[in-house]
Amino acid sequence: MNTRKLMPHEEAIELLPWLINDSLSGDERDTVLDHARSCVICRRETKALENLRDSVKRVISPAPIPAPDMRNINARIDALIHRQNLGRRWLSWIAEFCVSPWRIVFVAQTVLLVVLGTAVLWPTTRNAEFTTLTQSQDLADGHYLRVVFSPDLTHARLGVLLDDLGLAIVDGPSERGVYTLATQNSMAVAERDIALTHLSNHRSVLFAQPVDLGAAP
Amino acid sequence: MTNASNANDLALLYRVGRGDRGAFSELYRLYQPRLYGYLRRLLPDPTTVEEVLDDVMLVVWKDARKFRGRSAMSTWIFGIAYRKAMTAIRSELRYQAPLDRSTDANAIADKTSPDIDWIRAALVHLSPDHRQVVELTYFSGFSYAEIAAIASCPINTVKTRMFHARRRLKVLLPALAGQAREHDREHA
Ligand SMILES: [Zn+2]
Repeated sequence: MNTRKLMPHEEAIELLPWLINDSLSGDERDTVLDHARSCVICRRETKALENLRDSVKRVISPAPIPAPDMRNINARIDALIHRQNLGRRWLSWIAEFCVSPWRIVFVAQTVLLVVLGTAVLWPTTRNAEFTTLTQSQDLADGHYLRVVFSPDLTHARLGVLLDDLGLAIVDGPSERGVYTLATQNSMAVAERDIALTHLSNHRSVLFAQPVDLGAAP
Repeated sequence: MTNASNANDLALLYRVGRGDRGAFSELYRLYQPRLYGYLRRLLPDPTTVEEVLDDVMLVVWKDARKFRGRSAMSTWIFGIAYRKAMTAIRSELRYQAPLDRSTDANAIADKTSPDIDWIRAALVHLSPDHRQVVELTYFSGFSYAEIAAIASCPINTVKTRMFHARRRLKVLLPALAGQAREHDREHA
């Protein structure tokens, strides 16, 4: 006596493609076949599916399968192994190196020294580009002065002062507030020195020096 | 799949996982015809087929150690092939297929005696998911449970995809049943 439960039509018709490819498990196959025996739609559908499958298989005849050619895949695996070995070599080198604690201390010390050395030397190197107030800058012909005025000196009073001494501003103020003053071309070095003495004693002048200091006779 | 062949597969894959090139060569030769047929039916260009096949086998080489035997080895390998084929199909649809897909669906359906090109065109009119389920069922002979494992989707999704593919193919190729009967008569 058949004790199997009858499969609903919706369930059975869904499984027909796998009935005809013979991949249903024994029980399931029997249940679908039981249903199909009593269901004209499923029988017709099975036939249609078989025809469809056979026709498609017949027209799409299997393309000739080429002989296995493993050259490409072997080359790719070789490259992969090479990369993996390279990685392993590095790892083992690092592991080997780290075996001795003294080596780790040595590396740490070296790194620390390099970092400290850089930190100490870096600002010095950068600040080396300063200029002295007396730097000549190709002006050492006896006619130039470098002067720093007090901030309280007004433009008007500066103009009067420079007129009195026969000086003119040719450059400045620099970042440090330095002016470069030129004497009139006809003025002798001696007269420039008088102007310099005057400036040095002026209460609104903080600093005054000839550009050719040390170079002048 | 028998337990014995499953055990053989596992042993072979275990050797591949340990870097045995001989075992890999054996595995390659074992699967190359099936994989080539499967991919060739999905992808029109033979060069692409060979490239995708090598992509699949490279993953097998790299991941052999990860295989835990929860499914049959063939299901695992076809799962890799499924994903690679899907990527290739989608990229072909993006770059080349307008030519193939331009074939009018009505013209295919009107054809009383579909030839190879028409059937190919009908299959191209299926979505990649539907084509895959038709291919894996009718040509590669997988069960719905295996297809679900290959496509990494629920069993009901496989059944639904097949249902829609069948309906679409019936619309596209109504003459096939008649042709099959004529063919049967010719060969009777
Ligand atoms: Zn039914």
